[in-house]
Amino acid sequence: MRFLILLVTCSVLLTSCKKENRQTAVSINKSEGTEEIISYAKGFSITNYEDYKKVVVNSAWPNSNKIFTYLLVNKGKKRPKHDNNTKIIEIPIKTLVAVSTTNISILDYLGVGNSLIGFPNTKYICSEKARKRVDNGDIKELGNDLELNIELLLELNPEMVLGFSVNGVNKKLDQIEKLGIPVVLDGAWTEQHPLGRSEWIKFVAAFYNKEKEADSIFKTIEANYLKAKEAAKNIVRKPTVMSGSTFKDIWSVPGGKSFIAKYLEDANTDYLWKENDSNGSIQLNFENVLEKAQNAELWIGSGNFDTKKEMLYEHKGYAFFDAYKNNNVYTYTEKKGAKGGLFYYELGTLRPDLILKDFIKIAHPELLNDYELFFFKRLK
Amino acid sequence: MPETKTYKLSFTVLILVLLLCFCANISLGSVFIPFQDVFNGLIGNPTGNASWQHIIHEYRLPKALTAIIVGSGLGISGLLMQTLFRNPLAGPFVLGITSGSSLGVALVIMGASLFGGAFAGIFVSKWSIVIAASLGSFTVLLFVLIISNKVRDTMAILIIGLMFGSITTATVSVLSYFSSAEELQQYIFWGFGSIGNLTWHELFIFFIIYVIGILMSLVSIKALNTLLLGENYAKSLGLNIRTSRLFIIIATSLLAGTITAFAGPIVFIGLAIPHMTRQIFNTSNHKILLPAVFLFGAIVMLICDSIAQLPSSDLTLPINAITSLIGAPVIIWLLVRKRKMVF
Repeated sequence: MRFLILLVTCSVLLTSCKKENRQTAVSINKSEGTEEIISYAKGFSITNYEDYKKVVVNSAWPNSNKIFTYLLVNKGKKRPKHDNNTKIIEIPIKTLVAVSTTNISILDYLGVGNSLIGFPNTKYICSEKARKRVDNGDIKELGNDLELNIELLLELNPEMVLGFSVNGVNKKLDQIEKLGIPVVLDGAWTEQHPLGRSEWIKFVAAFYNKEKEADSIFKTIEANYLKAKEAAKNIVRKPTVMSGSTFKDIWSVPGGKSFIAKYLEDANTDYLWKENDSNGSIQLNFENVLEKAQNAELWIGSGNFDTKKEMLYEHKGYAFFDAYKNNNVYTYTEKKGAKGGLFYYELGTLRPDLILKDFIKIAHPELLNDYELFFFKRLK
Repeated sequence: MPETKTYKLSFTVLILVLLLCFCANISLGSVFIPFQDVFNGLIGNPTGNASWQHIIHEYRLPKALTAIIVGSGLGISGLLMQTLFRNPLAGPFVLGITSGSSLGVALVIMGASLFGGAFAGIFVSKWSIVIAASLGSFTVLLFVLIISNKVRDTMAILIIGLMFGSITTATVSVLSYFSSAEELQQYIFWGFGSIGNLTWHELFIFFIIYVIGILMSLVSIKALNTLLLGENYAKSLGLNIRTSRLFIIIATSLLAGTITAFAGPIVFIGLAIPHMTRQIFNTSNHKILLPAVFLFGAIVMLICDSIAQLPSSDLTLPINAITSLIGAPVIIWLLVRKRKMVF
């Protein structure tokens, strides 16, 4: 569910080398199909055939060497021949259970929010449309994402569960499969490029036959992103940036190949850990971070805090940093849902253009005069 | 000693209560299903709502059977441990078996953080948790067996088991320190125990191993009764201490290890059920105790699960919280009322 926390606050997705020896799934008359153009995302592919689509997810969790193949067959059409590892999903989907708020914004953008009938931890939902449906009882509360309430799920009997897996160990999802409800894994969060994460809207759209809409939404987001990146490119002065926060004695810092580092690079800043080659986050001790980042000009993404005082309460050492002293701490708590969920987690995956603009506004305010920070705010 | 007749009555009552709890457990859950439909669902007649049939058949029934297996199995393995070590505080956890399972599971869930992704790839399968937990408990058991062959003293084995527990716990905390919030949550949730996520197929495999464990403990009844008199006395009666000890340890480990593998580390039941049974039956004869512990364990687990489901609410509580919350006061009350412990 809030799996972006994974990457933004404290996640360890160690390993830097992607395995190249992917097993190839059994292809079904590949020659007749046309492949959708996917520009940034590396984790999925869509091939269209006459009566069905083949969707392949090859990066359901970091370094997964398991390939998931789904055949999306239009309702009423004949099912193509397939092997045991291939799942058949009848589309367009009318009823869905999702477990991650990132899917809420995608469903909203595609105009299919009404298909969502169950969700765990509904308190994290921010979108007003979806909140209204929760309050009306149209979206059922299903408990915790790791321990979905199976009885309620069986009673809802959705056509599909859109889930995710942190590491492939997912007993609950296996159980749901065995009970006859197809589970599809979303791997958007494993992408290294911010636009790659956003592009997974095409993946969700395939289940609704909404590819056209997804394509035009994504094109707009991509254009905005590239335009902002282009504008920042020529600024000469790059402010130094630190990121992350400490929990107990371990400081989680976005790795140099992580998507956060990519944002910082595209915003034309000097990220202090850009040389590091981890694509997740790195665990450092406090001294280590202090030594390197004490004089950093900006601190972007300091965790889930609303005020500097809150930060100090968590760890008194935060006060030693120049960025803290000079009120240059920014984090993603600007917009919250009615029940306290963060828009950054819900919408951030789909709208990297807004995150990039926030970063540029923070680092080079002169570039975006009439832009207001969207996800981020300066902590006071 | 009371006559056997009273025990017959007690056992008849217990069996009836077990049946009652079983029916109640299947009738209660987050989704309200009228009793008529529950009954229809059980005997395979159509229910008022297609999804109800599914809920009863594929979720509640395996869950109730799992509760019976878990409750009775842990109760018996606790009884065996308490008798073998002649220590009222012993339970299936003392040999370090559960900690072994925890270590195995922690490695699967959190190991990737420390050893890189390749490590995680080895284990990813539907059975990864079960296999890891079994391997973990089996490894610890192997150590315990080797040591119990070397060490004469039963108390020493107890201490060594506890030490194994400490080592694995420490290793798990190191792993936790370097893992992500999500992985940690996964591991902690496993630690809450869960009896509602077994399919029929898994339950079948679970059941076979459990039956072997139960049979082994039935065979040990005579040895257990002799052990109560003390090891030296038992020797003079011609009991082969070493063989019996080995046999009892294997039976316990099979039961506790398998249950932990399939249902997570369920606390309290193994320690408390034997005491509850002794206080109520007022005997230390294993011929009576063993079947009584079996029934009590199953009943208590079914009741705990029914409560954990919080009938008719959307919430469910972790089973481990309930077993201790409900069980501990009962044990305290029993001990205070009797003013002394039957042991």
